[in-house]
Amino acid sequence: MARSILTRLLLMIPTFALVMIIIFVLVRLLPGDPALALAGDRASDAELATIREKLGLNDSLLTQFVLFIKATLSGDMGRSILMRAPVSAVIANKLPITIFLAVYSVGLSLLIAGPLAFVAALNRGRWPDTLIRTVFQIGLSMPVFYIGLVLLTFLAAKLRLFPVGGTGIGLFGQLYAMFLPAMAIAFYTSAIILRNLRSAIIEVLDADYVAFAKVKGLPPRVILGRHVLRNALISTVTLVGLSIGNLMSGTLVTETVFAVPGLGRLMLEAIFARDYPLIQGLTLTFAVLVSGVFLMTDLFQSWLDPRMRQ
Amino acid sequence: MKLFSTVAMIALLAGSLSTAWAQDRGGVLNFARYDGSKLIDPIYADRNPDIWMVMNLFDTLLTMKDGVAIDNLTQSHAVSPDGLTLTLTLRDDIKFADGTPMTGADVVFSLDRARNKDLTSWADLISSIDTVSAEGNVVTVTLEHADPAILSMLATFSTAIVSKAAFDAAPGATDQEKSAAIFASGKPGVGSGPFYLSGFSQGATMDFTANPHYWRAGADGKPLPYLDGVHFEIIPDDATRVLKLQSGEVDVAELIPFSRVAELKADPELRMELFPSTRIIYAPINTRETRTDGSANPLADVRLRQALNYATDKDALVALVLQGSGAPMSSPLMSSQTPLAADMSPLYGHDIEKAKALVAEAGIQPGTSLTFTTLAGSADDATVFAALQQMWAPLGVNLVVEQVDSATRGAKNKSGEFDIHTYGWSDDVADPAQVVGWLGYNPTANSVGTGWNDAAFNGLYEAANAEVDPAKRAEDYRKMQEIYAEAAPLLWLFETPYAVAMSKKVEGYVQLPLGVNKFDEATIKQ
Repeated sequence: MARSILTRLLLMIPTFALVMIIIFVLVRLLPGDPALALAGDRASDAELATIREKLGLNDSLLTQFVLFIKATLSGDMGRSILMRAPVSAVIANKLPITIFLAVYSVGLSLLIAGPLAFVAALNRGRWPDTLIRTVFQIGLSMPVFYIGLVLLTFLAAKLRLFPVGGTGIGLFGQLYAMFLPAMAIAFYTSAIILRNLRSAIIEVLDADYVAFAKVKGLPPRVILGRHVLRNALISTVTLVGLSIGNLMSGTLVTETVFAVPGLGRLMLEAIFARDYPLIQGLTLTFAVLVSGVFLMTDLFQSWLDPRMRQ
Repeated sequence: MKLFSTVAMIALLAGSLSTAWAQDRGGVLNFARYDGSKLIDPIYADRNPDIWMVMNLFDTLLTMKDGVAIDNLTQSHAVSPDGLTLTLTLRDDIKFADGTPMTGADVVFSLDRARNKDLTSWADLISSIDTVSAEGNVVTVTLEHADPAILSMLATFSTAIVSKAAFDAAPGATDQEKSAAIFASGKPGVGSGPFYLSGFSQGATMDFTANPHYWRAGADGKPLPYLDGVHFEIIPDDATRVLKLQSGEVDVAELIPFSRVAELKADPELRMELFPSTRIIYAPINTRETRTDGSANPLADVRLRQALNYATDKDALVALVLQGSGAPMSSPLMSSQTPLAADMSPLYGHDIEKAKALVAEAGIQPGTSLTFTTLAGSADDATVFAALQQMWAPLGVNLVVEQVDSATRGAKNKSGEFDIHTYGWSDDVADPAQVVGWLGYNPTANSVGTGWNDAAFNGLYEAANAEVDPAKRAEDYRKMQEIYAEAAPLLWLFETPYAVAMSKKVEGYVQLPLGVNKFDEATIKQ
């Protein structure tokens, strides 16, 4: 097991290297440069030339790349042009909020989807099943920003049950202030998890070993917990892992609508400002986060399904 | 009994009058911004969210009133008859927010920073300065050449005064590192403005606290500001910003979309303000003979550029995009709020017959295709494009859209790889030289990327920059506006106000035409 983890970790190195090379080149292929974005519309050609010189943008691409790799290997991601601060500090400042939102929304999704998937699967074809699937079909078909605005308008602005945007202070403050953004994401994510988990449960319920367990006279609690849930979870875990990976970088819309200052919004700002060091730093961070989540997903799957350990 | 009731009446009256006259003081104003500041330092403020906040934390030597620079941190100022020496006598009651007094050395330090080309892109604003020296509270500024805009520039954010001692004591090897360290510290002492920065979370929140040593007095004779502080929240989404205001979580929300102005005006809890601004929306037209792909550029013909302007119904655009909260541009080179703006309205008033005649005269073939480059995701740009496509169809012009992000649009403007694209501008200084240099003086930036280059115009601009006689300078600017209007290197669209909505509890907050958010005289009813 330890060897398998080590192999996986070593395999991540070429992945990160490839990601860095691709993003280094891609971001420089975009029209416009940081000098233009930084100085804004009013800058004269002479001012732009000065800024480019200061930022080292006049160096050859190869020189820039070598400097960038050297700095990255020594743990220095450079200074953000837009934020005028070290990239690592800028990212470290936003990272907790993004991880919190991702974990919170996936947690809510599981809390919603888990029990309801069981109810739907055990009542296959009957009204509870139809009702649950219909409601969550809406979750799948509505854009997250729209769900967000509806939640904000009614629960926050009209009923004033929650604050309109913001992140709150302290664990409970954060749980309270970020309930609506987490819920907006969870409505969508739980719909996907629910569909998958429901089908998996139905499939497992029809399996011979479940029928055998019933024949053995095991109590339903044991059958559902030990045999059905554990086996049905195998495919769902992959889906949850993918969702967390997505949420690390893909909460841009939610972050904007709910005024949550996370990494998604930061990435958008960085791209608009052509802030090369910040874009590179964020991409590397996302790559590490997503790889980490996928590694944990695999480990959890191996625990659930011994066949995967071989 | 009668005497008693009279005394009671007088006491009651005096009580109610004193209540009516009592100046609201205290409280923290909650303000929802569309974008956050990055670094509020007079010389490093590059973006509007930074520039527009500088004057709350720092003070300038002079200040503008009715288009004239008057004393602010100075008790008097004088210009020598040859226009080459400025003598500024500082007030002796100015203190930075930590209580240390402001001296001539701080002024020398600040102006030397502000004109250092290695530090700031704003150095050109005061490039006429040769030396700055101080003796006691008298500061002497000598100029290399007479500069008609120098007094306005000493009222501009980039020349605001910072504390030399704060910079000397700050950690960091370079001026920029020191500035960032001071900004991050959240301690008073670097500025003498009505507030000091007391809290900052990048992209999330920012806090200003009242400077207890501020020198200007309010209506009640006590020092300004009236507020204890201002708390800013960064809420980029327009709809969320409005909801935040409607739910009472913030007292003011800025940059209200024009489509929501009427609705918020009707809200009994709120006051919708449209502050006059120097913001203009226009579209540079590529005037080069050939496009970057080598094809002939029909827009090189001034008659087509004029025809497009005549065919554009600006009032209709104001109604469509701004819902009436704005006006067509009246000067071809600046907003109507900019000093020396000529009122040439209607500037290319809607006249489709004249447009058709000009197109025929220029020999433009029906079906001529032009590309209109807009900002992706901008609803306003999309509306302008759809309207122009219809308005120009009778001329035989086939308008196609190209959507790009802001940095790409900027790059296209620089490289000349466009036909016509949307653009906007707000003045940063209270003088027309900046906007006119940008839009029309070719050496600055290719006349806003259009490639238009007129020797007579360039000569007038250079002459005006050294003209100390106000009447002659105004005449130079009048001529430049006439030349520019005739040459039509732009499609003129409209001027927009700053739309700010606030709770009725808030009084005295203003956004100035240059965009400055002014909180020193703002109050909030407790």
